[in-house]
Amino acid sequence: MKKVHIIGIVIIALAIGAILTTLGNTSSYASFSEAAQAPDNEFHVVGKFNKDKGSVYEPQVNANLFTFYMIDNKGQEKKVILNKNKPQDFERSEQIVLIGKMQGDDFVASEILMKCPSKYNDGKPQETANK
Amino acid sequence: MEYIGEHLWIGKIGNVFVILSFTFALLASIAYFFASRDNEETLSWKRLARIAFRIHSVAVIGIVSTLFIMLANHYFEYEYVWHHSNKEMPLRYILSCFWEGQEGSFLLWTFWHVLLGLILQRTAKNFEAPVMATISFVQVFLASMLLGVFIFEHRIGSNPFTVLLREHPDFANTPIFSKADYLQKIDGRGLNPLLQNYWMTIHPPTLFLGFALTVVPFAYAIAGLWKKQYTEWIKPALPWAFSGIMILGTGVLMGGAWAYEALSFGGFWAWDPVENASLVPWLTLVGAGHVMLVNRKNAQSLFITFFLSIITFILILYSTFLTRSGILGESSVHAFTDLGMSGQLLIYLLFFLYLGMMLLIIDRKLKIYYSVITLVCAIAWFSLMAADYTQSPVLIVWILASIVFLVIGRIFHFPQQQEEESLWSREFWIFIGALVLIISSFQIIFYTSLPVWNKLFDLKMAAAKDVISVYHLWQIPFAIVILILIAISQFFKYKQTDIKVFGRQLLLALIAAFVLSIAASIALHFTKPLYGVLLFSGLFAFFANADYALRIIKGNIKKAGASIAHIGFALILIGALISTSKKDIISQNTSGKSLESLGEKISNSDNILLTQGDTLPMGRYFVTYNGKRFEGINIYFDVDYFTRNANGTFDKEFSLSPLVQTNPRMGNIAEPDTRHFLTFDVYTHVTYADLASLKERASETMGEYTEAKNYSMKKGDTIFSSNAIIIFDSLSTNVDKAQLGISKDDIAVGASLRVLDITKKYEATPMYVIHENKIQPIASKVDELGLQFMFWKINPSNGTIEISLQEKKENVRDFIVMQAMIFPYINILWIGCIVMVIGTVLAILERIKRNRNKTT
Repeated sequence: MKKVHIIGIVIIALAIGAILTTLGNTSSYASFSEAAQAPDNEFHVVGKFNKDKGSVYEPQVNANLFTFYMIDNKGQEKKVILNKNKPQDFERSEQIVLIGKMQGDDFVASEILMKCPSKYNDGKPQETANK
Repeated sequence: MEYIGEHLWIGKIGNVFVILSFTFALLASIAYFFASRDNEETLSWKRLARIAFRIHSVAVIGIVSTLFIMLANHYFEYEYVWHHSNKEMPLRYILSCFWEGQEGSFLLWTFWHVLLGLILQRTAKNFEAPVMATISFVQVFLASMLLGVFIFEHRIGSNPFTVLLREHPDFANTPIFSKADYLQKIDGRGLNPLLQNYWMTIHPPTLFLGFALTVVPFAYAIAGLWKKQYTEWIKPALPWAFSGIMILGTGVLMGGAWAYEALSFGGFWAWDPVENASLVPWLTLVGAGHVMLVNRKNAQSLFITFFLSIITFILILYSTFLTRSGILGESSVHAFTDLGMSGQLLIYLLFFLYLGMMLLIIDRKLKIYYSVITLVCAIAWFSLMAADYTQSPVLIVWILASIVFLVIGRIFHFPQQQEEESLWSREFWIFIGALVLIISSFQIIFYTSLPVWNKLFDLKMAAAKDVISVYHLWQIPFAIVILILIAISQFFKYKQTDIKVFGRQLLLALIAAFVLSIAASIALHFTKPLYGVLLFSGLFAFFANADYALRIIKGNIKKAGASIAHIGFALILIGALISTSKKDIISQNTSGKSLESLGEKISNSDNILLTQGDTLPMGRYFVTYNGKRFEGINIYFDVDYFTRNANGTFDKEFSLSPLVQTNPRMGNIAEPDTRHFLTFDVYTHVTYADLASLKERASETMGEYTEAKNYSMKKGDTIFSSNAIIIFDSLSTNVDKAQLGISKDDIAVGASLRVLDITKKYEATPMYVIHENKIQPIASKVDELGLQFMFWKINPSNGTIEISLQEKKENVRDFIVMQAMIFPYINILWIGCIVMVIGTVLAILERIKRNRNKTT
C-alpha cells in the first residue's frame, strides 16, 4: 500500500467525521409546538412580536431579563423569556428568530436575532426643505 | 412631461461604455482563444485580442469615471446616485458610495481585473494568450452584470446608467415626480451612516483586489491544462498566488479589525458566514501557493496544485453568491438582500466549475461524456426551475457526476508521478499541509452552507447556538497541525533529508517552545489542555522560523520572507488564542443589589446596569456612567474607569464613550469604544439605553410619582428604591393620634423604616389605620429622596406587613446597560498581521527577482 492511499483513507475519514459532527451540532427550525415536544433540545423558532401584549424590561431589577409574547409562523403564541438585555429597536422588528428551549409553557431563549423592515430599504424620493 | 435640469446625456455615455466593455471583452476572449492555437494566424489574432482588451479596459475605466462624476455632482435623477449618496456627504465618502451598491462593487472587481489583465499582457509572454483568454472570459461575465437588458423576460445585470429614479418601479406614482423641477427639491438617501468611516474606504478595495488576484492562478492553471503544459504554468503564476495570499489575507484581517473596532460583535472573529466566505478561499489559496512552490521543482502533487488553484476562484464566486443572493437570510449579521442577480451569479459559478472540472479530467472521451451530461443537466435545470432555481435535484445529480468524473480522471488519466516521494522530504510535508488546509476549508464551508443544504435538500437545519465552539472543535486541531508543519517544513530539504541533522536543528526551538508554553499556560491559567497544545505549536512555529532565519540563512533579509511571514502567522494564532480564550467579560455579576432581590439564577448575565452617577466595581476597575451627549445621529455615553489606590480613594484611569447610532436606515446600532493598552484592551459597548433626552422627559412629568410597587416585609427585611436602601425596623402602636388627625377609637400602627442613601439616613413611618372598619393608611414621605411609602396590611400569621413604594419620576435617573470585556494580549495578533504582510512582500519580491534572472 502506498503512502498516498493511506493518506487518502485518512482524509476521507476526516471529511466524513467533519460532516457527521457538524451535522450533529446543528439545531433546527421549529414551531413552538414542535419545540414543546422535545423540551431538552434547542430550537430556532421564527415568529413575530405580539405588539398588543407589549413587553417587559426592567433593567433596574434585572438587566438580563426581558419578556414578551411571540406568535410563531404557525400562529401559536407563547411567552418568551430572554435572559439578555432587551435589544435596541425591538419594537421595530418585523421578524424574530429565537434560539432556546421550551420550559413548561414558556419559551426560554438564550439568543435573539431580529430583522428590521428598514434594513437596506426605506425612504422614497421626496421633497426636502431648502437649505 | 419635460423635466428640468436632468442630465440624461451622461447616462447615455455611461451606457455606451457598458456596451463597449461587454462587447470588447467578448471579442478579446474569442481572439485570445484563437491566438492560443499554434498556426500562422496566431499573431494576427493576438494583435486583435490585445487591442480588444485595451478597448475593454478603456471602457471599464470610462464606466468608473462616469459613475464617479455622477456621484460627485449629485445627479439624483439616477437611482444609483440617489440611493447611495446625498448632498451633505463629504467628498471622501464618494468612493464609499461608489462601492456601497452591488453594481459598484462588481465594477470595482472588474476594474481590478482590468488592471491585472493589462499587467499580464506585458509579463505573461508565452502564456499571454491562454491566460488572457480566461481572464477576458471572466470579464465577459462580470461586464454582463452591468448590462441591465432583458432576455426572455430575465433581466441580465443591473445598469446604474439606465435606471432613472422617476422610472423605478418602486417609486411609481410618487408625488414628487409630478413636478417638472423635482430635481431642485430632491436629496439622495445618502450613504448608510454605519458605513461612513475609513474602513468602508479601505476595506472593499483591498478585499476585491484580493478576490481579483485569485483569477490569475486560476487562469494559469486552466492554461496549463488546456495547453498540456502541466508544470510550466507554475513558475509565472507563483508571485501572483502569493500576492493574492497577501492582499486577500489583509482584506480578511481588515474585516476582522473593522468588526472589532466598530461593530458590536464582541471580538474580531465571530465565524460569521460572510467572514468565513472570504476566509475559505484564502485558506485554499495558501494551500495552492505552497504546493506550487514544491511542484515547480519536481511535479509530485500536480493534481492538488491544479485543484486548489481552480477551486480558490470557484470559492470566490461561491462567496459572492452566498453574500449577494440573500440565501444566508437570518444566519448572518451582514444580511444582504437579493437584487435579482443571484440566479445569474449561480450560473457563472457553475459554468466556471464545469470548465475547471472538465479540463482536469484530461481524457478526451471522458471530457465529452462529462460535457454531454452537463448539457443535459443544464437543459433540465432551465426547464424545471420554474419557481426556485436552487431547489432542484438536477443540481445534486450534476455535482455527484462531477465528483465521479473527477475521481476517474484522477485515477486513470492524470499524469502519474514516477516515484513515490520520500517521507523525509519537504514536498511531502507541504503536500500534507495542503491536504489539512483542504479539510479545514471543507469543514468551514460545509457548516457555513447550512442554508444552502436546506434549500437543496429541503431541510430545516440551523446553526448551533454556540457556532464558535463547533468551528473550534475542528479548527483548533487543524491549526495545531498547520503550525507544527510551519515549524518543521523549512528544515526539510527537497527530495531527502538527513534526519539526524534535522532533529538537531529543531531541538533548540522545540525546547524553547516547550518551556515557554508550559510557563505561559500556567501563568494564563489555561483550563483546556488543547489550548496549551495550540500555544506550544504556535511558539514552536515562531521559534523554529526565527531560528531558521537567523542560523540557516544567516539573517539574509531578502531570503527570510517565508520565515518572517510564518512568524507573523504564528503570532496571529497565538494572539487569537490568548485574547479569545482569556477574554474576560468584566461586566458580569457586579450589579449586586438587583440580582439579589430577584433571587434567581441568571444564566446569561453579561450585562451591567449603570445608573448615572453611581460607581460600581467591575473586574479590576470601578466604573461610573456620567451621562450622554447627542451629536448628530450619534448618542455618546460617557463612562469613566477608575482604580482604587492604596489610600482607598479612586484614581481615574480613562474614559470611554461607546455610542448608539440612531440610524434611519438600519435602526439603532451600538458601536463599541475600546481603550488600547500594550498588553490588553478594554472593550465597552452599550446593549440597552433609554435614547430620549432626559431633560425632555423630566419636564413633562415633574412632580409626579411612578406607579406603586408592593413589597411584603418581615422585620429586618430590606428593599431598594432607585436611590436608597430601605430597612423595616419595627412596628409601633405608640402613636400620637391627635397630631395625625384621627380619632381615639381608630386603630393605628406605624412601621418604622430606615431609609439610607449613600450619604445620609432618613426615617419614614407610614401608618396603618383602621377607621370605622375601613383601612385608611396614612402615607409617609421622604421629600429629599422623592419617596413615598404606604402601609397597607398586617399579616399576623407570618409576621409580615405590606408596604408600597412610589418614587418621583424625576428621581429615576438615567441609566445604561452595558457590556465590558478585556481582551488580553490582542496586540500580538495585530503585530502578527503586520509581520505576515511584510514577510509575504519580501517573499514575493524575491520570487519575482528569481523568475526574472532565470528568464534572461
